[in-house]
Amino acid sequence: MKDLGFILASWIITLGSIGVLALVTVRRARELSSRVPDEHKPWV
Amino acid sequence: MDLTPRHVPEPRRSSRRLLPVVVAVLASVIGLVIVVMFLTSSIDYYCNVDEVGVREGCDDTRRVRVQGSVDEGSLQSRAGNTSFVMSFNGVSLPVNYEGEPGGVFQECIPVVAHGRIVDGVLLATRIEVKHSNEYEAENADRLEEAEKSACS
Amino acid sequence: MTTGTATTRVIGWIAILTTAWVVVSAFFLTPADVIQGDSVRIMYVHVPTAWIAYLAFVITAVASGCSLVRKHRTLGFDRVAGASAEVGVLFMAMTLITGSLWGRLTWGTFWQWDPRLTTTLFLFVTYVGYLAIRRVDVDPVRRARRSAVIALLAVLEIPLVHFSVVLWRSLHQEASVLNTDGDVRLDGLMLFTLFSGVVAFTLMFVWLVMHRQRLTALSDVERVVGLDASIAARRAEHAGGVRAT
Repeated sequence: MKDLGFILASWIITLGSIGVLALVTVRRARELSSRVPDEHKPWV
Repeated sequence: MDLTPRHVPEPRRSSRRLLPVVVAVLASVIGLVIVVMFLTSSIDYYCNVDEVGVREGCDDTRRVRVQGSVDEGSLQSRAGNTSFVMSFNGVSLPVNYEGEPGGVFQECIPVVAHGRIVDGVLLATRIEVKHSNEYEAENADRLEEAEKSACS
Repeated sequence: MTTGTATTRVIGWIAILTTAWVVVSAFFLTPADVIQGDSVRIMYVHVPTAWIAYLAFVITAVASGCSLVRKHRTLGFDRVAGASAEVGVLFMAMTLITGSLWGRLTWGTFWQWDPRLTTTLFLFVTYVGYLAIRRVDVDPVRRARRSAVIALLAVLEIPLVHFSVVLWRSLHQEASVLNTDGDVRLDGLMLFTLFSGVVAFTLMFVWLVMHRQRLTALSDVERVVGLDASIAARRAEHAGGVRAT
């Protein structure tokens, strides 16, 4: 495949950034959830 | 009952409080620069070949960005120098470029050439390929079709 | 219990499966383009991120409008607005980066100040500023009001960005799908892969927004809960002190 480096970079940067944001979000959610009682979580 | 905090909470570090303000100010400045310096000059990104020396802002006495299709059979590359003829609406302009244009540069493709016109020749310092919005699968028949239609 | 629910888990798994299909199709099933060659494979990530960024900013504006009108649910709508803008900014950044890489392969340049690229960068900078302003105010209600006004103004840039290639002369090509004449200029499997990409990125967007707006809610509540707990502790201490004397 021609220009594979550019193509792979596009996909890795995009999916990687979304993955990192997802991980950071889940980690922070776990941290905060432990300090907030369930009655303040309307989605539960 | 005394409700004054016994342990005064540690104030947020001033750098953390300032950061959003700094980012907001920076975004405003960058936005302003984009509008004032770049958006106004980019509105008409190029002049077509037939407008050079005719349309306002397309004077052939100053640096121009000219758009046209690379004529079939006109492309010549010699010792790192590329020359071709670009046309639009029946008007042609010879182009000379020191270097090899990047991207998908080829004959019959629309390009934008940046440079000055000297003695009727555009001495280009930059060549950009203006790709169409059509996407077709690559196969032998399609290649022939594409080449024919592009130059017809 | 964190910010996850059965719904977000289902959305998350469908997003992962759809993304896996898009990757397989983009790299192994779809053909190279007759002119662009293999660089067309960047389109399957560039176009969906751009569309979802637009969608994100429209949702931010709608939620902001609702937060101003429906005052008893101001904070709920504001959190959705903020979360949507956060994800939108990330997607827009990805649009700019992938577009730049595609531009190098097709146009022969990473960047050029043409109308589409310039207006897209301006849109990105506007929403970075919006997110920064959201963080200036600590008070959630004041934050909601101020940012709602900005969001309602900023969304007006989207038609300008999308139609910049039609309104002005641009190096960037016109839209192949969402164009003014209604024609779709993509081969079958290319179009299907692009559509699958839009579905995958939409699911990722929904998953991220659901989690992030709940995260903001937790963050806002934590401040209040923390204060309540301190007051309760002090009351208990005081009561103990009174009994002791």
